[in-house]
Amino acid sequence: MEMRPTARLQGTDLFLDVLPFIDDILRYDSLSIVGLEKNTGKTECLKYVLDRLPVERKRIAVTSIGIDGETVDQVTRTQKPEIVLREGMYFGTSEAHYRQRRLVSELIDVSDESTSLGHVVSARALTTGKILLSGPSSSTSLRRWMDEMQQRFGIDLVIIDGALSRMSSASPAVSQSLILATGAAYSASMSTLVSKTAHVVDLVNLELTSDDNLQRLTPLDKGLWFIDKDGELHSLDALTSLSRDIHFQGMDGCQTLYVAGALVDGFLEKVRKNKDLKQVELVVRDFTKVFVTPQQLRLFLKAGGRMRVLQRSKLIAVTVNPTSPSGYVLDSDTLCGKLSEAIGLPVYDLIKNQQ
Amino acid sequence: MVDQLELQSGFARRWLLDAPLLTCGEDIMASYSVLQRFAEFVNRVEPLFINTLNHKLCDLKDIRTTIKNLHNGAVLDDIELFEVKHLAILASDVAHLLAQHGMDGVVEIPSLDEVINILDPDGMRIATFYIYDSYCAPLKELRNQMRQHPEQQDDLLLQASELEEGVRQDLSRRLHPFATAIEQAQEALARIDVNTAKAQQMKHMGLCFPTLSSDGTTRYQAMFHPQVKEALAARGREFQPVDIAIGEHPTLITGANMGGKTVVLKTLTLCQLLFQFGFGIPAAAAQIAVKDEIHFCIGDEQSVEKGLSSFAAEMKNIDAVIKASRENKKLLALIDEPARTTNPTEGAALVTALLQVLAGKDMSLVMTTHYDIEPGDTRCLRVKGFENGTMDYQLVEVQDGEVPHEALNIAQSLGIDSEWIDTARNLLETCP
Repeated sequence: MEMRPTARLQGTDLFLDVLPFIDDILRYDSLSIVGLEKNTGKTECLKYVLDRLPVERKRIAVTSIGIDGETVDQVTRTQKPEIVLREGMYFGTSEAHYRQRRLVSELIDVSDESTSLGHVVSARALTTGKILLSGPSSSTSLRRWMDEMQQRFGIDLVIIDGALSRMSSASPAVSQSLILATGAAYSASMSTLVSKTAHVVDLVNLELTSDDNLQRLTPLDKGLWFIDKDGELHSLDALTSLSRDIHFQGMDGCQTLYVAGALVDGFLEKVRKNKDLKQVELVVRDFTKVFVTPQQLRLFLKAGGRMRVLQRSKLIAVTVNPTSPSGYVLDSDTLCGKLSEAIGLPVYDLIKNQQ
Repeated sequence: MVDQLELQSGFARRWLLDAPLLTCGEDIMASYSVLQRFAEFVNRVEPLFINTLNHKLCDLKDIRTTIKNLHNGAVLDDIELFEVKHLAILASDVAHLLAQHGMDGVVEIPSLDEVINILDPDGMRIATFYIYDSYCAPLKELRNQMRQHPEQQDDLLLQASELEEGVRQDLSRRLHPFATAIEQAQEALARIDVNTAKAQQMKHMGLCFPTLSSDGTTRYQAMFHPQVKEALAARGREFQPVDIAIGEHPTLITGANMGGKTVVLKTLTLCQLLFQFGFGIPAAAAQIAVKDEIHFCIGDEQSVEKGLSSFAAEMKNIDAVIKASRENKKLLALIDEPARTTNPTEGAALVTALLQVLAGKDMSLVMTTHYDIEPGDTRCLRVKGFENGTMDYQLVEVQDGEVPHEALNIAQSLGIDSEWIDTARNLLETCP
């Protein structure tokens, strides 16, 4: 029987309304959920996503970077919700946590990599149930696990429960998209919370550099480099942006300055104050390499500089938890509104929405 | 050489590193006859097929702890049962692959079909595992209830876990008799991995199969040092291979500096070790005698930590050779410029005496020196040396141990300060 278009449209509208950003997630093969601080609602966000993904038509795998999924938060001793997997979902966790699982699951792989909690094992849930998530211990081994899952088991989407204030799992080198969880635990002052979160969002949203630069700079995985006014690529005589004696000589008319490793405040300030580099495009590998304060970044941009990346991940959403573990509560609607205005993206309070 | 083997699994590497030096000619030749079959196989089949095989061998895991538990009659948990099933299916897959090219039985893989049957009650033949519903009807019932009544999940899981434990006990009991076969299969897969890698290495590096020497003399034709050859090739230069034979009596090698004497000793040591670990030999042809012990004294092992000067360290190493020579063992000793760090008078005496002490012993000794010594019965080889501005690294048999006096010419060709060299030359001319 042919379905009536109106009914379908209504259904879709309803679906979108109840499940914000779930469809966006399905456009990518990997999603990292990162909390800007403990208790910013990262695990709630993961739970929200896992409850709503269409497990019937997509092969979904979940893992975490490092030890996570403990029933009680190791740092602040607050209760953390356990992660509930649905029947048919794949997951990667440590041997120790696998033995404590509270669901029926089928083992599909035991990796060679060993963590403090034993090897990383991969399995498929045969019933719905609870699991403690841990996983590969470095971004490199995480990436290897993801490749393995995608190639050998045809996984459509890998979801990574990121570690506390560690952005590495959200690097575009690891996952294509990310969700940021922020909240009162990050800062109890609403204006500070908004500006600090907006800064992270600004970094995530840094634009890609030109195709030409992408081709020339991507293979350079260390050092400092610049492209002069004639388009020639040169190496600066310094290994990292942390070096104390970096001399910008003969850089008159320099178009592009590339920092392969971490970008720090001191270096950015030096670039800003150099008259030859007024109009420079500063390129970094990705946002996880940028360690500059909002002030320095603002001054740099104001002086005419531009910052670009070689790899970019898609920011799907920002979620907030207005409650801090110390008991301080911000007003949810005001917070969502102000943050949304500052970053130009919708912001969700998932805990409130569930109630 | 081990580092350059393209082994697929960590377990195979472990197995190889744990392997003892073979000291029985029959064992060595038996391992070469297996390698011979693999070498033919690697040359015969499509590279794609080797890739498929290697891809499979990548999956070989070290499950010795699990096998030990099974031997001891322990109840295996789900992860351990998975490991056993995974290995059993892998062993069966590899056996099938090899059988396609007539390689069945070259390395005996015990059949683990019964193990697979025990761990694959539904006949799926895929390497995944859980306590399947079909093991236990009441378990299946409980799991159905779980799906229908998620609110009772915790209680149902608890009941199910008791039934699951019963299944694990039963499975472990049924698998127990196969522990040895599982262990052998794991080792067989490591052996296949190692042999495939050795065969590929032989092909890539141009290594040869040696024969066993029956008269105690080891002979190499066109012997080369793989790493040095590679390093030279990278600079667009060619390694000059060397022919050499060593009997059960001392051999003294003399020759100019930079004449490749040390490389010869290193290559002889390498070849002997490769032979007794069953690797291809870097030469055009080789006939090798088996040794019980191999001593390599290069003389630059000074150890500040142990408070030994380079002289003391060297003396102790050579002392070990002399002691071993009195123990009725077949030895190969390779000593690079002994006593080079002391005064030439005593040094020459030490070297001459060493040759005399070791001459009567049942051992192969190769020694290099720059000292002018009386060789006695010692066989002497000399590096052809510097001719027309190039070095000829070939070894020629000479009647005496007279050492060439080319140090100054060579230093000059290196562009060393001329005031220094000329002054030395004058000194030699004025006081001969």
